[in-house]
Amino acid sequence: MNTILTVLKKELKDTLRDKRTLISAIVIPALIIPLLLVGVTKLQKTLMAKEENKQLKIALIGYPEVIKKQLEDSTVKLFTNFTVTTGKEAIAKDSLDGMIEFSSDFLANVNDMKSGKMNLYYKSTNFLLSSRISEKLEVIKSQILNERLKKLNISSETLAPFDITKVDIATAKEQLGKTVGGFLPYIFIIFCFTACMYPAIDLITGEKEKGTMETLLSSPASRFQILIGKMLTIAIVGVTAAGMTIAGMVIGLKFLPDIPADFLTTINNMVSPKFIVMLFAMLIPLSIFFAGLLSAIVIRAKSFKEAQTMVTPLTFVIIIPAMLAMIPGVVLNWQTAFIPILNIALATKEIIAGTINMAQYAAIVLSLIALALAAALFSYKQFSKESMMLK
Amino acid sequence: MIQVQNISKQYSLSKQQQKELQTNAASINAVNNVSFTCTPGSVFSLLGANGAGKTTTLRMIATILKPTQGNIMVGGESVIENAEKVRSKIGFLTGSTNLYDRLTPGEIVQYFADLHGMDKTLSEQRKDMLFTQLGIHEFSKKRISQLSTGMKQKVSIARSMIHDPSVVIFDEPTSGLDVITANSIIELIKQCKQEGKTIIFSSHIMSEVDLLCDELAIISKGNLIYSDTMKNFRTQFSHQSLTEAFIDIVKGASLGV
Repeated sequence: MNTILTVLKKELKDTLRDKRTLISAIVIPALIIPLLLVGVTKLQKTLMAKEENKQLKIALIGYPEVIKKQLEDSTVKLFTNFTVTTGKEAIAKDSLDGMIEFSSDFLANVNDMKSGKMNLYYKSTNFLLSSRISEKLEVIKSQILNERLKKLNISSETLAPFDITKVDIATAKEQLGKTVGGFLPYIFIIFCFTACMYPAIDLITGEKEKGTMETLLSSPASRFQILIGKMLTIAIVGVTAAGMTIAGMVIGLKFLPDIPADFLTTINNMVSPKFIVMLFAMLIPLSIFFAGLLSAIVIRAKSFKEAQTMVTPLTFVIIIPAMLAMIPGVVLNWQTAFIPILNIALATKEIIAGTINMAQYAAIVLSLIALALAAALFSYKQFSKESMMLK
Repeated sequence: MIQVQNISKQYSLSKQQQKELQTNAASINAVNNVSFTCTPGSVFSLLGANGAGKTTTLRMIATILKPTQGNIMVGGESVIENAEKVRSKIGFLTGSTNLYDRLTPGEIVQYFADLHGMDKTLSEQRKDMLFTQLGIHEFSKKRISQLSTGMKQKVSIARSMIHDPSVVIFDEPTSGLDVITANSIIELIKQCKQEGKTIIFSSHIMSEVDLLCDELAIISKGNLIYSDTMKNFRTQFSHQSLTEAFIDIVKGASLGV
């Protein structure tokens, strides 16, 4: 045990002095994630507001004066000097936002209680244009409809046989679990894995490549003790990165603009000792599993470059089950509880929502511990092979 | 004492290696039925061309590789049955000066002292003694990445000697070093001999072999082709330089003479 601690202490010291590990395990999750989360949301909100307040430039062709008057307000600038051809060209060049072409019998049809035809020209790439124009036209349409109903002496309720009022009884915690709960594990699982990658390559392939492994193997430390010391270092970096990612996301969420008060309370309550213990009980065996798996792979490589080529495709294997948890309908049950990575992602959702089934949670933790032990054993088998240990 | 008893080492060849070596053989014999004995207080030199099997033999003595056949006894312990005990008795120094770049000499030497389970006070005393002797104190707090090749090799020596091993294995320890650093290693080997340690030494530099060795063995293509005391060797090849004699022995073995 003392030898394992000696190896662990040295590897941690060595790893913590490595800028690349510090950046991937601490700086990016703790600083970049909250900055990105808040920054991107704020930027999106600013762009949306700008787009919504922008004065639209709309051309009218064959328009009835009454409609023109109804469309006219400060948010729209109307042009009447375009033809269909010149209007289309102007839209293509972005000098016009859209164009409405009314049929010659539009007004007559509307007055005869028939449908008046109109074509709305726009570019689908023009963000929000279609919905903003449609909204204005819907108001006019609704006014005409009310006038028709009045003329026919029909109550507007005739067209609405029932009125639905939606009452959402999901708590803010459950809502948060369904939204953030899907995204959060996806991010921390990936960060945990990528943070394990670099120290695994550095501490195992790097030591083999530099030739220091030979000296280490001639010391009284056994291969098992060396492996466990290195694996624990890799796992600690992975857990730290995942923890930093979660902290970064929680901080980011708290600073999100216009976040509802009950959501904010839920986020604050989410970081309870129970949540942290439950999450880390899954994260620790997951990181050991990643450490074991990566160690077993990178020990086969002769150079840093070769090791990188070997482990990079693994990222996709990790991403897929983590992504599956974000698909609606994929829920935690006795089948998904035994699918590695997917089970953690789904359990995290349930823990945040406060709806976790404790029996399933226990099964997940136990299955992860079994997986971590299997990965360590697999790794030890590789470490025991002479051909793997020397360059 | 080191007693090498009929050791062989066979490596399985992958398809890629078979292609590179242009052979259909499933395995290759890197060392074949080699025996010799190194006695305390003397320097035993293992000579051979590149790829002759010297490093494989030294790695088997250091328990890094396991013999396919035979056994090696180091200080009365078998490398097969008591590998960990053997490792606690040996100091292994190679020509590769690579160390942990982000650590300081003090940290590296302490790491190996801890791996050997040394008492903190004793390891500090021994570290101080070695650092003074090798002149490491002046750069002991700098990171390895900032040191020159010579400085690194001095740290490698301190790391290999921190636990005061009774058996020291030097695998081409002076290769690529400047004259001054190489000389400090020669002096260290002499000191180890005076202290009664068992020393096994491999080198391509014949002047060093001539200066240090009490006994020598020559390996060619995995086979031991010569083994005797340096005194007998000098008598036998009195009309030739060490290099000429070495070349003649290796060529003679290739021709089956």
